[in-house]
Amino acid sequence: MDTVDFELSVNGERHAVRAEPRKLLTDVLREDCRLTGTHVGCEHGVCGACTVLVDGRPARACLLYAVQMRGHEITTIEAIAKDGVLSPLQQALHEVHGLQCGFCTAGIVMTFEAYLKENPRPTEEEIRDVLSGNLCRCTGYQNIVEAVLKVVHA
Amino acid sequence: MPKTRFTQIGRAIPRREDRRLLTGNGRYVDDIEIPGALHACFVRSPHPHARIVRIDAKAALAMPGVAAVLTGADLAQWTTPLRVAPPIEGLHPVEMTTLPVDKVRFHGDPVACVIARDRYLAEDAAERVEVEYAPLPAVANADQALAEGTALVDESLPSNLVSEQRFSTGDVFARRREAHRVVESAFSQHRQTHLPIETRGCAALWDEGREHLTLHIGSQVPHPLRTQLAARMRLSESQVTISSLDVGGGFGQKIALYREELTVAAASRHLRRPVRWREDRMENLLAASHAREELCRTRAAVTDDGRLLGLELEILEDFGAYCFYPANYLARVVAMILTGPYKVSDYAFVVRVVLTNKCGSGPMRAPMSITSWVMEGTMDAIARELKLDPLEVRRRNMVAAAELPYTMPTGEVIADITPRETLEAAVTRVEYAQFRERQAAARREGRYLGLGLCSVVESTTYGSRFYKAAGIPGSGHEAAWVRIEPSGAVNASLGLGASGQGYETAFSQVVGEGLGVDPASVRIHLGNTDVAPYGMGSRGARGGTAGGATLFLCARDANEKMLAIAAKLLGFDSSEGLRMVEGKVVREVLGERIDTGISFAQLARTAYLDPTALPAGMAPGLDFSRTYDPPPMTYSNAAHVCEVELDVETGAVRILRYVVAEDCGTVLSPVVVEGQQHGAVAMGLSGALLEHMLYDEAAQNITGSLADYLVATATDLPRFEILPMHTPSRGNPVGTKGMAEGGVMGAIGAISNAVNDALAPFGVVAERQPLSPDYLRSLLRGKTP
Ligand code: FES
Ligand code: FES
Repeated sequence: MDTVDFELSVNGERHAVRAEPRKLLTDVLREDCRLTGTHVGCEHGVCGACTVLVDGRPARACLLYAVQMRGHEITTIEAIAKDGVLSPLQQALHEVHGLQCGFCTAGIVMTFEAYLKENPRPTEEEIRDVLSGNLCRCTGYQNIVEAVLKVVHA
Repeated sequence: MPKTRFTQIGRAIPRREDRRLLTGNGRYVDDIEIPGALHACFVRSPHPHARIVRIDAKAALAMPGVAAVLTGADLAQWTTPLRVAPPIEGLHPVEMTTLPVDKVRFHGDPVACVIARDRYLAEDAAERVEVEYAPLPAVANADQALAEGTALVDESLPSNLVSEQRFSTGDVFARRREAHRVVESAFSQHRQTHLPIETRGCAALWDEGREHLTLHIGSQVPHPLRTQLAARMRLSESQVTISSLDVGGGFGQKIALYREELTVAAASRHLRRPVRWREDRMENLLAASHAREELCRTRAAVTDDGRLLGLELEILEDFGAYCFYPANYLARVVAMILTGPYKVSDYAFVVRVVLTNKCGSGPMRAPMSITSWVMEGTMDAIARELKLDPLEVRRRNMVAAAELPYTMPTGEVIADITPRETLEAAVTRVEYAQFRERQAAARREGRYLGLGLCSVVESTTYGSRFYKAAGIPGSGHEAAWVRIEPSGAVNASLGLGASGQGYETAFSQVVGEGLGVDPASVRIHLGNTDVAPYGMGSRGARGGTAGGATLFLCARDANEKMLAIAAKLLGFDSSEGLRMVEGKVVREVLGERIDTGISFAQLARTAYLDPTALPAGMAPGLDFSRTYDPPPMTYSNAAHVCEVELDVETGAVRILRYVVAEDCGTVLSPVVVEGQQHGAVAMGLSGALLEHMLYDEAAQNITGSLADYLVATATDLPRFEILPMHTPSRGNPVGTKGMAEGGVMGAIGAISNAVNDALAPFGVVAERQPLSPDYLRSLLRGKTP
């Protein structure tokens, strides 16, 4: 299949990409931009592990083609800690043990970084509702909920 | 047991591995960059059972960028088949080639492997590989497997019954005759899968010049995997390195050497190119490993006040098409430890395992998961039939502290466990008596609440003597090393394979404790077989018990040598009274600590760089290694209580409350232990309520995506209330008992018992899982309270 050349803006940096138009955003981020923090858990839009921000809104990178992202700004987990300082949510996840194997974690962080900007005071029920779009096989979710609540009540 | 002197072990320190994982800097298999790597994609059988007539790869090979298409015949030349043939009575030996040569045995069985420039191309080419099949009749379930004249899944066997064992002690027939009642119950657990969020995958690099293979892979058992891989590649163990950095969940799925991984490794050697493979989710669901499909029946002979006189158990397990493990191994453990905390001396079991045309089974977090459901469901059945209170029936049969150690009818010895204490604590927490009043009041309003009790005795850590006695080949030992470098930096390692258990945190606490230094100064190196010592890896719940003890003993060896050096430097004859506290040598005189002015770093420097200052005869350096074989079996225990509300109109179950009182001995890291408790209970509840690997009557798998295979999300699960009730084990140098699987065992039993309690007014009993709305509605149809 023929490749196309395009530019991708990720975490404020421009990447010149040459890839087949069918190449998924997950694969381009991981292989071409060498940002492997975005994980792939299902490639069919269910697990949420691949969640990134497109123009500030959460999106499943496994359901997008990278070429579609021309003209959009993509944010990945690599841009969340600033100057080596964890974001309040990352810090809370660390403090209350909200991650085990860590494979789902980037997707969860990205989901809530965006959500909490628009809804800074969610209830536990609302948090669980939003979190239900991300699968975690390790934690039973409780400490993830706890971490978000910690940020909310900080 | 040196309980009180611990200062580092048991401290709640946030995990050390978090930072890299939170910032996207973890290194899971697929994150490892390998320039020039080719990608593998497997062609899989659409048939559950068929002869392979012909494989035509011409069209695929003609595509630019396709390097090779490998079949079973190719792999048979380069690799050795897997033979599973331990000398166990009633277990048939079996053998499997690396890829099938003559026939496929399940929907998803790999038949060929395409190697190409990238994954997209490999997938395209896989579609161009033409395989001609001649379908055979398929065996879709255990009943069919045992039916007269049925097809043979493995044609080298006389029947599909691959394993059968019987055991009897006492006289269960006599007990039945003298019983007030014989209570029969059935428990049918359904097929599930581990579902790590990171699927399987690997990358193989063959170094032609050095004749060395490096396999990057997420593995729970790096060294045993190396042993297998080397043998099957016809290499020596010195020619293979396994490297497993971050692993996105294992749960038992990342133990075996799978055929795909071996194929990728063989392809790399054949092509002299790095080859990598990332499994997609559909492959993971269809063809990685399944678990748990078993039917258990019990027959309990009881007195009129609910005391157990005799117990019989039958297990029939559907093991799928291939045996990566001895087929008896999982079900056998269930039968061995079934009676758990209950006293009974007359016991018999028969365990049968059959092959079917489905994906092969393996251990999944709590391979013996059904045990507590079966035993506790039997207790509930006794209470139901005799119209007794289920809590009272348990109290009447449960072993008391004064009766420990207690020998189970199978010869298993339980000691240092606290089943009564945890049960009483859990029922007190949920206010059992008041619940019964609430339940009665709710019933009057047409609402159906249920409470389920489940006591768990978890077999966590297998010592070599257990394996020997059970006739299973294998060792239970673990290995560790501790190295203090000339600067005083501490490196340590052991043979476990981490997949989210926070080992780097917990074990740095263990080493810190043993050495008398800050855990933050200790670095734990895991997962690389050139670095780590040969241990048995992470399976069961042995990490904390076997691993923790080994590492602690090793660190104590180091501590002893360092204090001997300190004594010499101070001019003392012996190191008596000297201790390392926070990196400084102190002298204890009449309960008081006097600083000697000697530091940990100074001793390290001396040991390496000033050997003439060492005590006479002492070798330079601070390099320690140690192995440790734990007792035959270590048990921990817990009591689970679950409260549910059943919507009788829809069949939906809502969990209102979930309490666990658990005793897992000395806790290395309370942070990690609590996380494991949550995760285990969640997996149990998810399996009991939602997950179901479904095959149709023709043995076609119809759960190929996460839209079909449902797993619990944050809205399906409750908040867990944990009551830590840890008492140290005397059989372990650190006092740990192990945990992390019991939560699954307890959850499966507690939720089932709770649902049956809610169903009680309708006179029906749920005997199988998942407890789906459909199933519960089918039980309720036409029934009135
Ligand atoms: S990988 Fe995108 S949702 Fe699962
Ligand atoms: S931490 Fe392992 S999947 Fe969430």
